[in-house]
Amino acid sequence: MVRLEYIKKEYEKTRQMPGKWYLTSCRYKFNITRFQPFLSALKEKRLIGLKCRSCNTVSFPPKLVCGKCLTRPDQWVSLRETGIVATFTANYMKDETTGEANAFPVIAVRQDGADTTYLTQLNPKVKFEDVYVGMPVKIKWKDNTEGNLNDIDYYDCIDDPTQKMDSLTK
Amino acid sequence: MGDRQVAVVSAGFCEHASKRSDVNMAELVNEAVHNCLNNANCDIDAVDAIVAGNMPAFEGANLPELWMTDWLGARNKPLMRVTTGGSTGGSVAIAGYYNVAAGLPGIETVLTVAFEQQSCGNTSVGLSSVALGEISIVNALGLPAESAMRIFGAGAAIGIASYQAINYMNRSGCTEEDLARVVVQNRRNAAKNWWTHLKMPDYTIEQVMATPYISYPLRFGMVTPASDGACAMLYTTEEKAKDFADIPAYVNGVASVSHETAILGVGGAGAGQLDPCEQVGAVESAKLAYAQAGISFPEKEIDFAEVYSPFPNQELMWLERLGLFEENTAHLRYRDGTTAPNGELPVNCSGGVNSTNAIGASALERVAEAALQIMGKAGNQVPKTVHSAIGHGWGGCINLVTLTVLSDQPRRKWRAH
Repeated sequence: MVRLEYIKKEYEKTRQMPGKWYLTSCRYKFNITRFQPFLSALKEKRLIGLKCRSCNTVSFPPKLVCGKCLTRPDQWVSLRETGIVATFTANYMKDETTGEANAFPVIAVRQDGADTTYLTQLNPKVKFEDVYVGMPVKIKWKDNTEGNLNDIDYYDCIDDPTQKMDSLTK
Repeated sequence: MGDRQVAVVSAGFCEHASKRSDVNMAELVNEAVHNCLNNANCDIDAVDAIVAGNMPAFEGANLPELWMTDWLGARNKPLMRVTTGGSTGGSVAIAGYYNVAAGLPGIETVLTVAFEQQSCGNTSVGLSSVALGEISIVNALGLPAESAMRIFGAGAAIGIASYQAINYMNRSGCTEEDLARVVVQNRRNAAKNWWTHLKMPDYTIEQVMATPYISYPLRFGMVTPASDGACAMLYTTEEKAKDFADIPAYVNGVASVSHETAILGVGGAGAGQLDPCEQVGAVESAKLAYAQAGISFPEKEIDFAEVYSPFPNQELMWLERLGLFEENTAHLRYRDGTTAPNGELPVNCSGGVNSTNAIGASALERVAEAALQIMGKAGNQVPKTVHSAIGHGWGGCINLVTLTVLSDQPRRKWRAH
């Protein structure tokens, strides 16, 4: 446990009364039917995004309202399986058996052909130090797809052609 | 913009600490209100209306402005509460401004109060209730709750800052030492200010770099604390301003702009921006507020900036987006000392949100500090004379930006009356 020293003032302790407010007991409504084409495509191991007819923005995962034009996009377009890392960070999870904190990368992927990002996980074997913005990644499907978001197992690294070109010029 | 010219004449704080166990929420607020009124040499009778604000979910105390009316000094007076997440204080400042500027009969002096006593409740639970809507939608689409929590758990308040930090570092080439330098400057400034929380007069870059990562690339020594505290600020009209203070700080421009969230976004929440450090909302709010204040060259005309930066990379990012430094050069200005209290453009001389973060109060404290620097009464007063200053706030579901431009001169009247 790290402790940083700072100038502290001690305050008198007074009586405290416990109370409860269940903030996490809220219920959220979400209409799943408009997502159905997306989910059925996932079952066929295909990716589709929603394209706004007004500003041509393709959203993946599909967004039911375009924020720029305030319209309801209804044009489904196919996307490729590759993408690039738009941004990333590391998440620290405690291993329940050993008690050690393991870092694993969480990435936001911009799918090729789409204009928005999707938060997902990278191959857990990749170290987060090796990840960089603009890294090309490819989708890794589960063997048995069921038509939900869980069909995307994780994203895997692929060869970066731009880095090859850098080495050639050197 | 209203017709009336509005001025800030006083600001007050209470002592901030991680646990103010000696007072309850109402008494904490009362300390700030008293301090504010004492600084203006007036009593509560001079106040015509009150605007209050906090985030009730963070303390677990509902509708606080109703049961602490007497401690706010709001008995038999108009009172309203504003809540917009992290930018609550900024919205309170803007609401207070419009209360005066509207020119309502009998309302000339308005007290704005923002507060948060985080030790009363659990801020993480309050924040998670924001992310929970997103997580439950992803869960309904078939992602198991465990992995949804893992992915979106990294995207909570600190996660969103680490995405911004990664992209900012990639874009500008700033290093982790540069981030540590920002923190060191803030904490040392905080040591010179009486009301701040993390006072660290001997903090060094090496000490920051020795602490472990909380969320790559942000370390334990870089992140904002959770504080208890309150801030109060007094607005009045141009005609009355000189009764309260020798040098009032005139409010010349206010703006509040929202933009799509950058990251989280499956259930229609957003994900319109590819780059989390793009921050179109800040650029737009700066345009609006500077146009109102008649500022054409913010990098030359603004003498002092208080920006809302819980994490060091945000301080660099906001200074660029608000037009004070050129793109991708803010970290270089910290290296050459431009932003130090005796530099050309002092930034966050109060210690900033990085040293003190009572969430609801934070953004109002930025405006209050900017006003106090103009009035010459700040805790850590800069040596040069401050003519115009800005106070910035950021929050909501990571997409609300508020900006207040203050000056020692009233707004130039462009329109013929």
